[in-house]
Amino acid sequence: MTEVKQRPAQGYWALALRKLMRNRSAMISVLVLVLIVLSCLSAPWYAKYVSHTNPFQSNLSGTIMRHGHAVEVLGAADNPLKLGIEPIGPSGRLGPYMLGADQQGRDVAARLLYGGQNSLLISSIAAIITLILAGLTGIIAGFFGGFIDAAITWALDALWAFPVFLLAISLSVVLIAHGLDIGPLRLDASSLALPISIIGIIYVPYVARPIRATVLTLRQSEFVLAAIGIGASPWRIVWRDILPNVISTIIVFAPLIIALNLLTEAALSFLSIGVQAPAASWGTIIHDGESLIYTRPLVAIAPGLLIVVTVIALNILGDGLRDALDPRAKLRL
Amino acid sequence: MLSAIIRRLIHMIAVLFGISVLVFLIFFATPGANPAARIAGRNASPQTIARVERQFGLNKPLPVQYGLMMKKLFITQNLTSFVNLGEKVVPQVFRAAPITLSLVTGAAVIWIGFAVLIGLLAAAFRDTLIDRILMILSLIGISMPVFWVATMANLITQGQFHHSWLFSWVPPLGYVPFNTSPLGWFKALIIPWFTLAILYIGLYARVLRAALIETMQEDYIRTARAKGLSERQVLMHHALRSAMIGIVTLFGLDFGALVGGGALLTEVVFGLQGIGYLTYQALETLDLPMILATVIYASVFVVMSNAVVDILYAVIDPRARQAR
Amino acid sequence: MIKRILLLALLLAGMATAQAAPAGYGGTLRMVTVSASGTFDPQVNYTLRYAQLFQMLYDGLVTFAKTGGPKSVTIVPDLATAVPVPTDHGLTYQFTLRTGVKFSNGQPVTTAAVVHSFRRLFKVNSPNAGTWYDVIVGGRRCLAHPRSCKLQGLVVDPATNSITFHLRHPDAEFLDQLALAFAAILPVNTPDHNMGTRPVPGTGTYMVKSYDPSTGLVMVRNPYFHQWSALAQPKGFPSVITYRFGLSAESQVTAVENGQYDWMYEDVPADRLNEIATKYTKQVHITPTNWTLYVPMNVNIPPFNNKDARLAVEYAMNRESTVKLAGGNRLAIPTCITLPPKMPGYSAYCPFTKNPGKHWSAPNWRLARHYMKKSGMIGQKVTVITSLQAPYRQIGVYTQDVLNRLGFKASVKAISPNIDFTYIQNTNNHVQISITDWAQDYPAPSDFLNVLYSCNSFHKGSDSSINISGFCDPAIDAEMSKAELFSLKHPNQADAMWSHIDHQITRRAVAVNLFSFERLDFVSARLRNFQFSGEFFFLPQLAKIKP
Repeated sequence: MTEVKQRPAQGYWALALRKLMRNRSAMISVLVLVLIVLSCLSAPWYAKYVSHTNPFQSNLSGTIMRHGHAVEVLGAADNPLKLGIEPIGPSGRLGPYMLGADQQGRDVAARLLYGGQNSLLISSIAAIITLILAGLTGIIAGFFGGFIDAAITWALDALWAFPVFLLAISLSVVLIAHGLDIGPLRLDASSLALPISIIGIIYVPYVARPIRATVLTLRQSEFVLAAIGIGASPWRIVWRDILPNVISTIIVFAPLIIALNLLTEAALSFLSIGVQAPAASWGTIIHDGESLIYTRPLVAIAPGLLIVVTVIALNILGDGLRDALDPRAKLRL
Repeated sequence: MLSAIIRRLIHMIAVLFGISVLVFLIFFATPGANPAARIAGRNASPQTIARVERQFGLNKPLPVQYGLMMKKLFITQNLTSFVNLGEKVVPQVFRAAPITLSLVTGAAVIWIGFAVLIGLLAAAFRDTLIDRILMILSLIGISMPVFWVATMANLITQGQFHHSWLFSWVPPLGYVPFNTSPLGWFKALIIPWFTLAILYIGLYARVLRAALIETMQEDYIRTARAKGLSERQVLMHHALRSAMIGIVTLFGLDFGALVGGGALLTEVVFGLQGIGYLTYQALETLDLPMILATVIYASVFVVMSNAVVDILYAVIDPRARQAR
Repeated sequence: MIKRILLLALLLAGMATAQAAPAGYGGTLRMVTVSASGTFDPQVNYTLRYAQLFQMLYDGLVTFAKTGGPKSVTIVPDLATAVPVPTDHGLTYQFTLRTGVKFSNGQPVTTAAVVHSFRRLFKVNSPNAGTWYDVIVGGRRCLAHPRSCKLQGLVVDPATNSITFHLRHPDAEFLDQLALAFAAILPVNTPDHNMGTRPVPGTGTYMVKSYDPSTGLVMVRNPYFHQWSALAQPKGFPSVITYRFGLSAESQVTAVENGQYDWMYEDVPADRLNEIATKYTKQVHITPTNWTLYVPMNVNIPPFNNKDARLAVEYAMNRESTVKLAGGNRLAIPTCITLPPKMPGYSAYCPFTKNPGKHWSAPNWRLARHYMKKSGMIGQKVTVITSLQAPYRQIGVYTQDVLNRLGFKASVKAISPNIDFTYIQNTNNHVQISITDWAQDYPAPSDFLNVLYSCNSFHKGSDSSINISGFCDPAIDAEMSKAELFSLKHPNQADAMWSHIDHQITRRAVAVNLFSFERLDFVSARLRNFQFSGEFFFLPQLAKIKP
């Protein structure tokens, strides 16, 4: 789909970087992203010095000082039947339970920061997996063609039409007690490996297809035909002539895929397939907040807003990268 | 051309076969998924479970079970649920289809309408404040998790604001068939429509704006301008028409995926019992026959829309045909 | 003068309404739930959701009295004329079939129908065919060869309408088991296979007009019904009962608040409790149930094959905290033993608390740490398995937290409620500890103790092995059989034996019992005469609908 027909010139990357630096909205979004990442990394510090609670420990019977007297973190609701339990609400200022408590009496604000770490980690690692796999399959299918191409296209189509949630639910059950051994790799159920591997796989077709198309066009281009004519080895051609062209596509895709992954992680968590409790991600906090939506709506609203801000910043960055690297590309978002 | 279509068909069937086999294998690899104990009821004796296994053919080799199930699904069409015994799955799928179709079609009308409007406005006022604001709104649209938007919509319209004048008309969650009450149908779907449409409005508006700006620089547009047509006429009559081609292919893919059950989360949060909801429920109860039926139904739509778009592409762009 | 006319008018008005709806009959009761509940065959379905319907659609020879309050757990004659006292040392039960009763298709209830129904239990793979009804002589053969099932132990005489059961061994719960829908009497031509979505005609006060597992069902009056016993099968007040499927619990609450439905099956979600208790106080009914939430620990694999490790968990678990996760003190009662408070044989006992005695007071971390250290299991990996539903998932997370504080390396896995129950039972899955629950089939202590902790309930490698702890002690098994035999003759003294057994098992620390549930029913403003049976829960047929 891209129109690049020639090997990028020497100054290509430097030029692109300069172009990106001049793009004000892209730079602002980079700033926002850095800010989000830094505050998520500050989570242990926040938990220790500000919220004074361990956000991974249930605090069902604890009390806390509010307005000079002790208040239960989880108190009986005030109604004639004494029915129901309500977590403590937001205090509204920097300190313990700034955004209130969740059902387990844990500090929501601290969990949001820790959850951000996991959400960003999952999305980024999954994006790296997606881009590597997509790059490999796209190049192999596009360059070698024939039977290999047909087989890869078949697999990609099947994967694209496959119900993600079925895959996720089944995998999560299989992984529960046993973990999964793939050669030297060991997937442990308690790690983040489950959401990463699921999310990392499902968007491969999405990226692999345009890469394959790019490679197909490149394969017909004069400089590749010439290289074949003088007897260059296929690996050398891929390495010297094709990969550099594909890399720019992959870089443009990277922030977009991370953004998509953030949204997918949230959706999977909503269906309870994701980071396992008591660890948190923005998606699982929304899920926890679902069951408090009528009494403490902030628990579901806050992580949603964080996702929205992060995804917007990633998308703007993606736009900026596209403008800088590949101005004529018609990438689908 | 014909051979290309036949090749495409064979490819489609191969994809569907692969998906159904995968679903089947994953199901039987899942510990606790064996339906015999659940069909038999709690605390059934081992003999009873063994008899249920025989009765449902669960003791046969997997390829045989797969073959039997496919025969029941496609040829005799009397495949029945593992959960609600005796419930035929194929009619269930066809009963859920109109609900999904209502949801997706309505949302599609909304998203195309708004996207064209926003795209045109943004292109016409390129690089002005209006353009900026519209594009930021579109970005926000594509950056919100759909289920979160749906939850927020419910919180506002069904929660504490339900009794305010603004939302007192909102009916309880669930679907109302069109022939029961057209107004009820409309009221039940209007919020889900917009919720589902938001993402696509943002997406299509952005794509359309880019395509319009690009087309406006083409030679024939310059010719049209030179002929003395007003900027608005050029935009509406010439540029929009060619920019819409890209949108149509996008639309094919998205519409196919959504009709096939891609609106799962929207349907679940709004309690609309369409294909997505059916799939969700089948997964929740691990009802293999129902899972197979809905998954195959969904993949037919996804694979078909892919094929249609590919063929359209081949017709429009000769280079792609060569590449195929 | 004016006053008198007014009075007269009031009197007349009163008479008019009384005539229109004599004593509350008529109207439509609209119930709602999230989904269908499996096959509609009364001899196979094993869910409370449908048992609640079957009790007004079908009759057995005996039944639990259809009334609210403590009387609802007593057995009364239904299609039989009397509840017999077993003879022949508890081996023989003789009934006389009531005459003149007809099924909703017009067929008469005959002894042949009785025989057909009991043989059918084995032919349709009734879940309890191999655990309850095989006590009838010939039942074992029927289980092995259902097609040629004769069930010699069931002898009838069409001339005198007598029905005699011969048992292989005395069974104190035989009458309880006859009182459930599995033992419903069905027409003699009912097919010998699971009827799935096609409702079978019955003798109850209602019959099913339409049933569709994806949308719901409609019940109307059975045209052949006449009331023979107000306790066994009372004539229902509503003329029509509808049951709609497909609304989430959250939507159900909203719909009942707005008067679109009269009763919801699902539990009211925790975040709506305050709202309904504040605004709809009079529409809330809370009743205790024989339903316990407990945490079985697998005594056959590490770390909980070590009794000290189990004791550490028992002492550390804060029952009050878990009660909070279930919605507070009004909805859950903390406990340490297996039997719930309303069960015969219950006597309060709690050794695992700060001040051991009758009731749980606070966790005892000093003893918990002591036992933990003694067990040598510090640093061991443990996985808590729980279902995704509230409050199970939340309690799972809390349990993991407690285990970590004790020194285990714990993780928690929440899985789909539909896999969870069979998953935790199968020994192949090596589940160490899980969060689950047990509700009574009928009010007998053995339905908890014998079912959950006898050697017979443990099946290696099977999805159906309800003894999840894998606890098996022949001495306790022997005591349980003795108690069961004893309860045939001296029910009150047997209760003391059961409570002794309960406390013994409790001291073995094979499961952490957390609390027993109270059931909250949320009904519409127009529903009157809410009656709650200890056996069937809310009795829809007794509800009166204010027009």
